[in-house]
Amino acid sequence: MSNATAAAVTVKPRPFAGLQRLAGWAPLAVLVLLCILIAVINPNFLSFGNVVRISQSAMVPMVLGIGATLIILMGSVDLSVEGVLTLAAVLLSMLVLNGANANELGLFAVVIVLAVGAGVGCINGMINVYLKVPSFMATLGTWFIGVGVGNALLGGMAIRINDPLIRGLAIDRFLGFPWGVWVAVLCVIIALAIQNYTRLGRHIYALGGGEELAALSGISVAKVRIAAFTLAGVFYAVGGILASAQLGLGNAQIGSGRLFTTITAVVVGGTSLSGGRGGILQTVVGVLIVVVLTNGMVLVGVEPSVQIGVQGVMIITAVALSINRKLMKIVK
Amino acid sequence: MATPFTGPNADRTRRWLPLATLVILMVVVGVMQPTFLYPATLLQLASDTAVLFILAAGVTFVIMLGGIDLSLQSMASLASVVVALTVAQLGYGSFVLAIGIGAVAGLLSGLAHVKLKVPSFITTLAISGVLFSTALVISGERSITLGEADRNYQAWITGSFFGIPGVIIIGFVVFVLASVLQSRTPFGRYIAAIGAGEPAAYASGVRVSRYKVYAFILSSTLAALAGVVLAGRLASGSPTLAAEMLLPSIAAVVVGGTAITGGVGSIWQTLVGSLIISVVRIGMTFLGVNIFAQNIVFGTVLIVAVAITIDRSKIPIVK
Repeated sequence: MSNATAAAVTVKPRPFAGLQRLAGWAPLAVLVLLCILIAVINPNFLSFGNVVRISQSAMVPMVLGIGATLIILMGSVDLSVEGVLTLAAVLLSMLVLNGANANELGLFAVVIVLAVGAGVGCINGMINVYLKVPSFMATLGTWFIGVGVGNALLGGMAIRINDPLIRGLAIDRFLGFPWGVWVAVLCVIIALAIQNYTRLGRHIYALGGGEELAALSGISVAKVRIAAFTLAGVFYAVGGILASAQLGLGNAQIGSGRLFTTITAVVVGGTSLSGGRGGILQTVVGVLIVVVLTNGMVLVGVEPSVQIGVQGVMIITAVALSINRKLMKIVK
Repeated sequence: MATPFTGPNADRTRRWLPLATLVILMVVVGVMQPTFLYPATLLQLASDTAVLFILAAGVTFVIMLGGIDLSLQSMASLASVVVALTVAQLGYGSFVLAIGIGAVAGLLSGLAHVKLKVPSFITTLAISGVLFSTALVISGERSITLGEADRNYQAWITGSFFGIPGVIIIGFVVFVLASVLQSRTPFGRYIAAIGAGEPAAYASGVRVSRYKVYAFILSSTLAALAGVVLAGRLASGSPTLAAEMLLPSIAAVVVGGTAITGGVGSIWQTLVGSLIISVVRIGMTFLGVNIFAQNIVFGTVLIVAVAITIDRSKIPIVK
């Protein structure tokens, strides 16, 4: 690993720098081509109704993708997406006006859920930093702990959400789009601001580019990592709120399959698993590719169960194309 | 940073810690529930551990390399679906088919990992999606119960020989074969060498890529075998049959003392780890803990075990 960082520091301008820059636009080109292709096969694709439908299916993956991007930019990975999302959705359904108990905390419940998301993220970061457990292992553990707590709280039941504010996220519309979509857009703007205009954002890139160098230049690696994992946890909790609003209920199966879509979206967008390259905008493109492809497959009539397999192939292809093999001597 | 389990005696402590944990756990559960230590119950414990152990034994080789296989639960489920769908036509051939598909899936994971240089956790996560999707499509997204006539073919799994249940014998055969592979063959030594230091292994002429692919084939093949056994025991196949087995399997390997940094570990330790997981599960069932909520405990156990066994000198930067 130290060899790799050393190589990164002394790397000369590559002869194919122009090609590399071109490769950065590939995901966007794929998205545009995909849209054109599907629109030709089925013109309904471009109808306003279908665009709204796409935005609805994109809102949860978008928020999750943003959180995961912050972690992958550091060269780590976060597998706890489903755990935090499930926990958030289950807690929310239990705390707002619901069909199972007398709680009616409203907005305060949202604050609690976001705090829980932040807490789990913070624990991820602390396990990673202080116990020195690699992030994929630490978050594999918290993934199952999160889903397990959700299960323990509900015992396999589902709780209906009756709170008009939460239900409104999916039902009430502004300019034709549900409020949940606007929440996701707001999350993108916040994440972009953090990434581009704050010290934390720059430090996350610095860690991904070369952690030793970042530490030597005075960045507190531990603080940045814990902050990034905490922030990611908050975004997953937002995802949990949006997902439970969309379904109108909270249950322990609400997260199932979402990690997969999230990782696919991030890597397909062009954020490198080795860290340092990519960002929120890339993930926006990646999420749209995944969602548009799913939507297109539905329009064309492909079975939904095939889509998981297609995403699996997309993950490997995207990662294989984006990995900078010169910087990776050993792949584990 | 100072952590426990460092110092001159650390290695010995680490090696015996899992076995000591197992004995203590068995005594604790035995005191809580005296029937636990009856031969019949212990036989039941061994039967219940067999599937978990077969899964864990396969992934042990991948973890010893320093890699990971996150596709084993999907492979096992797919194998159960393949058996349930084809046993009526193919008879015993359905088991061969299912296990053969496991070998091919492992080959694909291994090649994608080695040739495309995609990290193993992401390769196997992706392959897991492909396998799950395949299982969903061919099963029509439902659970398939084995017919009465088909169950005759499952006798080697569900029956018993001289009073010992078939699953225990299968588990024992896997244990012997995997142990021999790990401790008595060049394959086992090369796997440990690659895990201990890949550049050194490469420099001494070990065909690193080839042995990595072999390890993934072994892991996936054993996962398929576990799926076949599970299908026999539950008399059904379904795309989510083994969905809850990923975490316990990896936890079993790590709890047994195999470090995820690679190079250290053995099948024997994985057997101890699998038994620990089983005893903990039985203990929790006595206490009335919901089966899904048990993942809270396994998740915690996994993180603690990784933190204890990991070799921090090998990873100056923890990502």
